[in-house]
Formats: sequence, C-alpha cells, structure tokens
Amino acid sequence: MINRTADGLVAALGIAGGALAAAAVVKAASSHEAKSSDEALRTARRVGASALRLVGKRTEIDAHIHAARSFNRSSALLAWSALTDSAIEHYRGSFENRAMYTPLIVGSLSLAAGVHGGADHIGSRHPIRHAIYLAAAGVGLAGTGFHLYNVTKRPGGFSWHNLFYGAPLGAPAALLLSGALGAVGERLRDEPAHDPRLFGMPAGKALALLAAIGMAGTVGEVALLHFRGAFQHRAMYAPVTIPPIAAALLATAALSPPQPNWWTRVWLRATALLGALGVGFHLRGVARQQGGWRNWSQNVLNGPPIPAPPSFTALATAGLAALRLRDTEL
Amino acid sequence: MSIDRPPRYPGYDVMQKRDTPSWDDVTREVIDQRLGQRNAPSFCNDAQWRALDALCAVIVPRSRAHRQTVIAEGRIDDVDNRWEDPTVPVAALIDLKLLHDGRDGYRDARLPPIRDAWRIGLAALDAESRQAYGAAFADIDATRQRTLVTRMQRGELKDAAWEGMPSEVFFSLRVLHDIGSAYYAHPQAWNEIGFGGPANPRGYVRMQANRRDPWEPAEAKPGQEAQALQENRRAQ
Repeated sequence: MINRTADGLVAALGIAGGALAAAAVVKAASSHEAKSSDEALRTARRVGASALRLVGKRTEIDAHIHAARSFNRSSALLAWSALTDSAIEHYRGSFENRAMYTPLIVGSLSLAAGVHGGADHIGSRHPIRHAIYLAAAGVGLAGTGFHLYNVTKRPGGFSWHNLFYGAPLGAPAALLLSGALGAVGERLRDEPAHDPRLFGMPAGKALALLAAIGMAGTVGEVALLHFRGAFQHRAMYAPVTIPPIAAALLATAALSPPQPNWWTRVWLRATALLGALGVGFHLRGVARQQGGWRNWSQNVLNGPPIPAPPSFTALATAGLAALRLRDTEL
Repeated sequence: MSIDRPPRYPGYDVMQKRDTPSWDDVTREVIDQRLGQRNAPSFCNDAQWRALDALCAVIVPRSRAHRQTVIAEGRIDDVDNRWEDPTVPVAALIDLKLLHDGRDGYRDARLPPIRDAWRIGLAALDAESRQAYGAAFADIDATRQRTLVTRMQRGELKDAAWEGMPSEVFFSLRVLHDIGSAYYAHPQAWNEIGFGGPANPRGYVRMQANRRDPWEPAEAKPGQEAQALQENRRAQ
C-alpha cells in the first residue's frame, strides 16, 4: 500500500513540474512576441539590461530550432498533465498492478527532458532527450493497450459503460503525444536551417498535422468523459466545440500552401486559453463535490481531473509554433 | 459463549474520524448522544426493563464481552456478568426506540406495532420462565435463559401471555432485528467488524471489491497483524 505522505510528495513534485512547464510555455510566448515586434523596438531593447539581451540573442536562432523548442515545451506540459493525472488516478487504483508506476517515472523523465529542451537552442538532437521521448511514446502506446485490456476484462466487455468507468483509453495517449511531440522536436533540430523536412514533407506542415491529430484525439477523450458527466455545466461544451474547430483549421493550414493563418491562430489561442480556464472550471467542479475542498483527499480523486485541461494548451501552443514555421515555408 | 480472539482490525478506532470530513454535525450529535447513553430505562417499567436487559445479554454477549476473563489452556470462564454495566447500552437504546415509538414503516401482520410487540413479548418471556423455572427471566441462570430463548426461536412457546403472537416471529422480527440494530449502531461494534463508520461528506472513491479507501480499516491477515495495526492507526 502506498501511504498518503508518498502520494503527497508525488503530487507536490508534479505540481512543481507543472509550474516549471507553464513558466517555460509563457516564456516561449513572450519571446515570440519579442521576435515579431518591430525592429525599432527590438533595437531599443537591445540597449537595455542583460536580461533583455537574451531576448535579442534569440532572434538569431533558426526558425526550426525555435519550433523544436516550442515542441519541447508543449511536450513538457503534456508530460506534466499525464504525470499528475496518472499519479492521482493510479493512487486511486491502489497501484494494484506494478506497471501503474511506469507513467510516473516516464512522465517525470519526459517532463524533465521538455524543460531541458525548452531552454536548449543547439542545432542537433540531444540523444538522451530523444531516447526519453521514444520511451514515453512507447509507454503511452503500451498504456493504451493496458487500458484497453482493463476495459475489455470487465463484466460486459467492450461497452459504453466500461469505456466510461474503466481505465480511460485516452489518458495514456497524453504520454504518447508528449513523447511524439518531443521526439519530432528533437529530429527537427537535425534538419538544415533552410527547408527543414520531416516525414518527407516540409517540417512546418508535418508539425501542424501532428498537433492537429493530437488535438482531435484529445477532443475524443473529452467528449467521452464530458458526455459521461452529462454536460451538466454549459462550459463543458466548450472543449468539444472550440478545439475541434482549431484542429480542423490547423489541419487545413497544414495541407494548403503557406498563407497568412491569422484566423487559425485566433482559434488556437482560444484553445490554449481554454486549457487554462479548464483548470479553473475543474477546480470549481471539485469544490462542488460533497464536502468541497475540505474533503479534498476524496474529491480530488472523485471530481473532474484538475491536470487534464492543460493538454489543450500544450497542443495549441505546439500548433502555433508549427504555424510560425509554416510561415517560413513560402 | 463468545470467544475472545485477537481483534481482526487491531488498533482501529472509528472515533478517530470524529473530527474529520467523515462526520458531519448531525452525525457527531447523534453518536455523542449514543455514547453518553446510560443503561437505564425511560419507557419500560421495572419488570420489562429487567427482562429486556437480560435478553440483550443473551443475544449480544459482546455488549458485555470485555468483562469476560480468559483462563489458562484456552478455556473461557463464562463469568456471570449480567449485573454489570454493559459496554454497549443495548437495552437502553431499545427502550429509547420504544419511548419515541420508533416504528419501521412496515410491519409483519402477525405482529402488533413495536410498543405492543415488546410489551407482550417481554411479559410472555417472564410468564414462560416462571412456568418452567419458577422465577422471572432475569432471575434464572444464563443456561436456562438460552434454553428459553432457543425455544422461543423454534416457536415452541405458546403461553396465553403471547396473546396469539407467534414467538418465533417475535424472535426474528423484533428481538434479533431491534437488538442487532442497536448493538451494531454503536462504535464499539464498528471497531469489531471493521466498519468505516459514517462517511458524509467524505464518501468512497474505491468502489471495487477488496479495495479500501485510506480511512477505512485494514483487516489483519495471519502474519500481517503489525502491518494492519500500522494501517489502522492511520485510518482517520
């Protein structure tokens, strides 16, 4: 039996990691703004303090490395989400099977790799990070298999009821996506600065497609669980409305020739924001359970999963990074 | 008689959860009252009370179990502790139920409502005891009391004092029902059987068989008593 102190420790680690990942994502967004702001302002900033000199320096980084780092960060946020969610849910499942510790280990590693890669602008893949990402993707895939087995072995077999209440099929996919985004980011670093390619297509196109597919999968998971929750709050429709549109626009942007995609960006930004707002709604959902936050040790397990919504933020920021790279493929 | 084995849930005390989210204000009030209950009548008359208290000692000897002494070589000395205060005031809890005329909301047509059923049943038990042993039910020894209760269970008691009420129906639907409910409504019984106790607003998160929430007691499997003891100290 795992005692509560150990679980608290795991949760604290996870939350600290999440804060780091969020900080990395926010930093990435601000650095991007600096990059796209006008030249005069940048020159003015360059005169400034040493902290700002960093921002100036970043403009010299190749666009594909910039995108790779964004994917590292998105991967980190997904890893944090998978790590904390599996820590909570597997604790609830009493770690009945030893394999249930695996996502905690691999999720932590993927999170660490993402934080490290997010700050790394070297133009070649990091072999350890790359290995971790491949492991994370593998564990995510294996986890989906385990969860599928858990669903089918329940009385009634593969049925809606067991899909709702058995081990969630979509949860290990967050780890799979974290690994996939990270690994693709690492491979992108090996590409030349001019016309980087992935999977035989322009890199920006490939990244955008990957982010769109990930978003579509996440929407499926959310649709299943929010349907289980009977859409009892109107806000529960938002994540099955906004991200699908964003994913569709992103896929279209990837498949059509490079063009200004401001409308797609609007929806991607809305999706990213939704991920953050979702945490707030889920926190409120826990508060609405019997006993509220005073009964946190039960309600965090029974209520809506607090670490789940940032998956959308991670995928939307990855999508935005992919679009930035796509813009250079004119 | 009941045998004192090592407890199945060593170190478990449901009262540790009194001030946790397991209990709400209403629960605290009700259980505090139950624990503060003296074993004295407020509804029964003297004769009824003595018969009821003696009957409770026969049905749930555990309500007085802690005063039993274990003699060497595993023999249990069946100490006659009928006159001592019980650890669970079962008779007083039933007396309270009668005072408030606490009916079940349903009734077997062979029995009258609860107050009448107990009035007739206790009087009939005394009448049967006088007829068979020349003394009231509370005044005969424990072996004879058990004999008489066994015959009641079999429906062999048919004195006019029963007023047509079948003794076996009275036994299963009033004696067992009311005495069992009263005993197992007490924290002592919860500790014995490893019941998690009240759980509002707490609620359960592990609903599958053989899973326990951290605040539920752990059963001591042979050879794992120390582990269960440790788990149960944390169960709050």
